[in-house]
Amino acid sequence: MTDALRFEWVRIRTLRSTYWLIGLALALSAAVALIFGLATRSDPLTVVTIGRALTAGGDFGVPFPAIFMAIIGIFATGHEYRHNTIQPTLTAIPQRSSLLAAKVIVVVATAVLVAVVSMLLCWVVFMITRGESVPLGDAPLPEALGGYVVYTVLWAVLGLALAQLFRGVPSAIVVIFVFPFIVETVIVGLSFVPALDWLQPALKFLPFSAGSRLFAFEDFPTGEGQPNFDFLDRWVSGSVFALFVGVILAVGWVLFQKRDA
Amino acid sequence: MITAHGLHKRYGDKIAVDDLTFDVRPGVVTGFLGPNGAGKSTTMRLMLDLDHGGGETRFDGKRFRDIHDPMREIGAVLEARSFHPTRTARNHLRMLAAANRIPSSRVDEVFEIVGLTEVKNKKPKGFSLGMAQRLGLAQALLGDPAVLILDEPANGLDPHGIHWLRDVLKALAAQGRTVFVSSHLLAEMALMADELVVIGRGKMIDNGSVASFVGRFTQATVLVRSPAAESFADALRGEGATVESLPDGALMVSGAGASAIGELAHRAGVVLHELAPQSASLEQAFMSATGASEEFVAQEFAGADDTAPGAERPDTAAPGGAA
Repeated sequence: MTDALRFEWVRIRTLRSTYWLIGLALALSAAVALIFGLATRSDPLTVVTIGRALTAGGDFGVPFPAIFMAIIGIFATGHEYRHNTIQPTLTAIPQRSSLLAAKVIVVVATAVLVAVVSMLLCWVVFMITRGESVPLGDAPLPEALGGYVVYTVLWAVLGLALAQLFRGVPSAIVVIFVFPFIVETVIVGLSFVPALDWLQPALKFLPFSAGSRLFAFEDFPTGEGQPNFDFLDRWVSGSVFALFVGVILAVGWVLFQKRDA
Repeated sequence: MITAHGLHKRYGDKIAVDDLTFDVRPGVVTGFLGPNGAGKSTTMRLMLDLDHGGGETRFDGKRFRDIHDPMREIGAVLEARSFHPTRTARNHLRMLAAANRIPSSRVDEVFEIVGLTEVKNKKPKGFSLGMAQRLGLAQALLGDPAVLILDEPANGLDPHGIHWLRDVLKALAAQGRTVFVSSHLLAEMALMADELVVIGRGKMIDNGSVASFVGRFTQATVLVRSPAAESFADALRGEGATVESLPDGALMVSGAGASAIGELAHRAGVVLHELAPQSASLEQAFMSATGASEEFVAQEFAGADDTAPGAERPDTAAPGGAA
């Protein structure tokens, strides 16, 4: 296992894309925090504003670190097939479970690091734009920011799992972006059609939408005139997303053991 | 020492490797010979646990998956271009070395051995096939292994490179290593190998020395020219030899040596103009051994004598290996 970790550690460090993907995630996050900070300079400081700044507008779509760490995850397994390196890799490390576990560990560590650093960066940028210190202790910020790290990690593991399942880069990229941005968006849209409003209670089980509740700064609006989304609590929602990622990883893992390399 | 026992692999209805059993001894270069698509690559993948199938391969008694730090015992290269195009050659080998606790000083050593020192810090995407093959050999030698398994290592090498590869493999075998090299090219094998494992359509055709393979699949013949060819042919047949009359009047005699034919001619008072033993080649043996087992036989070209080469190697595009 330590051999496989050593291998993965050299692998991820000797890939140029690792550096520019991390660089893009941090630079884009900081840029959004800067724009957002300047635009809301004179607004009162609320937990929503602080959260939005630290996650670089993450709740508008999918946060940058999640996207770029997913690609790092896709490359961790997908490159082995795209460039035929799976043969030298497996003749160096024939224990396939050790290899895959090492990949997961290194990708998770990278995702945690990048999520935390991006929030620190955004925090500093946000404080500079406001010219005042910004406290992070008010509920639900500690939980939401922790959830942001978990969310980024889950995207990264999902990328790794999909590329292992499909044994390639392009199909994994297509699935990981088509599913949340198109499939889930269309389902949510359909649920607003009156005849299809029975879809609404099911929306809380859409994995990517549920996952984004991990770093929610406010409760989902409910009441008169609001759709009945009935989202689950932060960590239960997160578990829906985690379960989705876990199932794909498990299938990819079993097939990796069973299939020819 | 490699012992492969009952190796078997099927893709759907198609049997790719059919119950292969063979040993590969240390100290000599063993050639793994077969036409395109005979199952050579699949066999090597089965040996290295890359593919799942029947049978078992043991390396000095151990199965591949049970060997700790396998690159220190077995160096294997199955495809020439198995590296990330923008990771430098040196980083590629450093990464594999890290997986088997091989010091990075060894990485620089193997670049010296294969003559790639000048380009070791370059991205291998610009490497020619010959350079990629050298990088592959460097990768195989990384752990200073006692066993080498190389799939078509001479592919893409220029004549100088092939000569060099032959010397390297022979030297490695002379150090007591086990060297198992596949090829579909006979000229290469004739120069490189001492022992042969010959397969066709996944089945074993021959396993033994190059000389015994040639002896088994060809007959020693003697070319005889004589003004009295016809009567002499009868005399030869009377001695139990097989005689074939060629269109130009010469005789092709098998079943009797040149000296016996010469003595017979002397006793019979027949004048001979030519008495030439024909040395059978590995190529002739290979053609007669695998003639029926070509996987993809191209239609014979009108007017061409040689068998057309087979189609693109199908065994590199592994079924199920979706991108």
